[in-house]
Amino acid sequence: MLVNTSCALVFALGLVLSPAGAAELWFGAATADITPKPPVPLTGNSSVRIARDIESRLTANVLALESREGGRAVDQAIMVSCDLCVIRPGIQEGFRKHLAGKLPGFDLNKLFIAATHTHAAPVIQQDRYDEKDYGDAMQPKEYVPWLYERMAQAVVKAWKGRAKGAVAWGLGHAVTSHNRRVVYADGTAKMYGTINTPEFRGLEGYEDHGVHVLCFYDSQKRLKAAAISMATTAQAAGGNKVSSDFWDDARRLIHERHGKDVCVLGFCAAAGDQTPRAHVSKKSEDRMCKLRDLTYGKEIGRRVAAAFDDVVSVIAKDIRADVPLMHRVRQIDLPTRIITEAEYAIAKKACEEVDGRKTRLKTDAWTRHFYGLVMERYLAQQKGGWKTYTMELHVLRLGDIAITTNPFELFVDYGVQIQARSPAVQTFLIQLAASGPLPAYYVPTPRAMAGGSLNDKLFTNYSATASHNMIGPEGAQALVDRTVETINELWKPSAKQN
Amino acid sequence: MKTNTALLFSVILATAVASAAELHIGAATVSITPDKPVALDGHRGLRISKKVESPITATALALESRDGDKVLDQAVIVSCDIVAIRAGIQEMVRAKLKPRLPDFDANKLFLCATHTHNAPVTLEGRYTIPETGVMKPSEYAEFMTTQVADAIVESWKKRRPGKVAWAQSHAVVAHNRRATYSDGTAQMYGATNTPKFRGMEGYEDHSLDVLFFWDAQDKLIATAINVPSPAQEAEGGPLLHADFWHPAREMLRARYGKDLCILGWTGAGGDQTSRPQYRKAAEERMMKLRGLSRMEEVARRIAAGWEDAYECARKDIRSDVALRHFVKQIELPHRQVTETEVADARKEAAKFAKDPAQRWNYRWHMGVVERYDAQKAGTEQPYKMELHALRLGDVAIATNEFELFTDYGVRMKARSPAVQTFVIQLAASSYGYLPTERAVRGGHYSAVIQSSRIGPDGGQVLVERTVEAMQELWKK
Repeated sequence: MLVNTSCALVFALGLVLSPAGAAELWFGAATADITPKPPVPLTGNSSVRIARDIESRLTANVLALESREGGRAVDQAIMVSCDLCVIRPGIQEGFRKHLAGKLPGFDLNKLFIAATHTHAAPVIQQDRYDEKDYGDAMQPKEYVPWLYERMAQAVVKAWKGRAKGAVAWGLGHAVTSHNRRVVYADGTAKMYGTINTPEFRGLEGYEDHGVHVLCFYDSQKRLKAAAISMATTAQAAGGNKVSSDFWDDARRLIHERHGKDVCVLGFCAAAGDQTPRAHVSKKSEDRMCKLRDLTYGKEIGRRVAAAFDDVVSVIAKDIRADVPLMHRVRQIDLPTRIITEAEYAIAKKACEEVDGRKTRLKTDAWTRHFYGLVMERYLAQQKGGWKTYTMELHVLRLGDIAITTNPFELFVDYGVQIQARSPAVQTFLIQLAASGPLPAYYVPTPRAMAGGSLNDKLFTNYSATASHNMIGPEGAQALVDRTVETINELWKPSAKQN
Repeated sequence: MKTNTALLFSVILATAVASAAELHIGAATVSITPDKPVALDGHRGLRISKKVESPITATALALESRDGDKVLDQAVIVSCDIVAIRAGIQEMVRAKLKPRLPDFDANKLFLCATHTHNAPVTLEGRYTIPETGVMKPSEYAEFMTTQVADAIVESWKKRRPGKVAWAQSHAVVAHNRRATYSDGTAQMYGATNTPKFRGMEGYEDHSLDVLFFWDAQDKLIATAINVPSPAQEAEGGPLLHADFWHPAREMLRARYGKDLCILGWTGAGGDQTSRPQYRKAAEERMMKLRGLSRMEEVARRIAAGWEDAYECARKDIRSDVALRHFVKQIELPHRQVTETEVADARKEAAKFAKDPAQRWNYRWHMGVVERYDAQKAGTEQPYKMELHALRLGDVAIATNEFELFTDYGVRMKARSPAVQTFVIQLAASSYGYLPTERAVRGGHYSAVIQSSRIGPDGGQVLVERTVEAMQELWKK
């Protein structure tokens, strides 16, 4: 009996230890230049801008991971970070189709694409601007197939070039984001609202200045790839030139200090209410930038690179080669934001106004798109539809860290909730990732929704009204709960790679 | 022609005002560490110090703006490693200064606290303290104010023409300590790893505002560092120490001179702490990898932020900046006690009335009853707060007496006419927490009526008076 118990104990210990002890991490990384030849229409604003110059190159950075045990692949993942505004509906699915047959042994469902949210990248879906305004610029229908092929080359290179390596992770800090929603004495809120007024009462919510760093090393412990996740969007610059925003400077500095071949994946954590623009201390920040002779975007790049250095120097003490990878891909249903009759009436009126206008405005297509979405959803509701929003959720465990995705511009509070409840030592969030067939847009908090409701001006309480929310706080809470549940599953002793 | 002459004249005048001012600077640091056990301030329960873990100090910065022999304005600012500048302490220092510094207007002095919860009690009556073996609060207050007066005299007498620069950097030190939940409630230091957790209640200000002072020989003699977080990393225990300011000072002095005078100024941080409220495992792992304690890690961030600011500040050092310093008594309306609140307070006070060990709790609740009685009797007066507003070149410095929630500091900074604004809380005196509207709605310690004598209405008045004072300083 005693012998049996001991045997069982040894066996159990062996089972627990085997995934950690026997696992080998294989990885590959590659970068593709996805900068189109100007002129090209830029997305992200209410009217299209035609870029005729390039401020900085756009890239897609690919990380391929495979966990092996006894020479057998047990789980895998491919992550693609793109200098794009948003992975628009259908783009990821289209890319998976484009990759069919090109990645032997890889389950394409285990690939996801994420955007850094630069607002100086090409339009990739013809849904919100008038083609008449593109002139001689490259059309989305021309850019997207070219983008697919460029990204596919990098994905194939990363996957086929994967080799046994090691990984390290760490947390640093950098003030790269600020809450962009301004609250006033009457309870209203406004994105980028004026703050030097007696009615100003504060910034609506939190800011998360964590910089999550994940580094990959080859068998000689040389840094080959790094993923950085921060709760900020890459929209410091704007303007009319093609630009990867602060990521260009961050990557350049990292390349200068750590090697030009290091593949850097920039990920945007939950940051729907954040922006890398100064407001409260703007005068002081502007002065500091002048003293450093930097634009604010370059200053953000400097901060990211400094935080990266700070972390990399420390985590070099804890590089691990035997961490197992577990990757779950789920389709989860979230309750939608219900469109009220009043919102429908406002949207209908706004659409009729655009449709009846004799002289076209450059913002008309954009206005029609968002109010039109409100109408469509209301009409679907009336027919018993539009109850759930289905999203693709990726949750990965890599050693002590968790990585989770969502397709939204998720307000930072939800990211804080996921991190606070996660059993992982460190939890990386990636928003604007793995988009499905529907647009995702912002996910506001209850306090953001309290800042104002939809009216005939799309920018009233922009980011928290029905026009820009497919799901609301109820759906967001379901997203948080499903995400945490999935992470918890991966931390159960019985969790297995698959 | 007339216009041109007038323009030329005004340009000359403006230049003269800017260039004629000469800034005289002096600084000194003294120990305010008691040589006997003391009662430690900041908690409900009594703690007696068992050991000095790090010295607690007071650092005085003396500034005088002169045009030739003419004194234009002056200020002395003293940063103290203490939980708060309790009522009467600043007056004790002023009284000690008057005979010793006849050429200094003692009203232009203010003391401020770093808010370490591991420093002595300075006010009698807050706790029931053993009769023997422990330094009495009044005895410590006498010692401390004498030491502070000495530091001021030394700094004032040492003042010489010098140079100044200012810069802003960042350090992730402050963390909002009020967690909110799905039922609308909030809790200070509340659990965040629960399904009911909905987020941190408010903002965090991670700016690090720094002033640098050099002597005429370009030796860095003093620096003031404004961090919107109280120094309460430890917040407890029987050790006497200066919390994170001690390792921060040690790091900077090791690199920039052992005589460097360092003033820790606490920005609006009533709802903040330096301790993370979530993501604790990741933070702890990084500290272990660095081989640092949490206090040393905070200090490392402050020192790194300071150095980042210093690199820029050195590019824009000025010697001809004028100092202007307004001291005002402003009136703030008291937060009104409701019938429900007073009923609860009476009930709670009764529970603690007979237990001397519960004196703090008894007083906490009875304060509400007394306020309500004054309200009903019509004898309640607005609170008179001493406001200091200074202009030093393009910088504004504004004080308040509260544990001021960060949103108010943000409002002041956002509306300030200065290029860079330093907000110093717990300065001149101490009048409790000043919570926001959303905090009052969420309740719990720091936002309930017992914690807050001035509420959101008074907070907005404080913002308005502060902004007005800063605007006055920018008027030509």
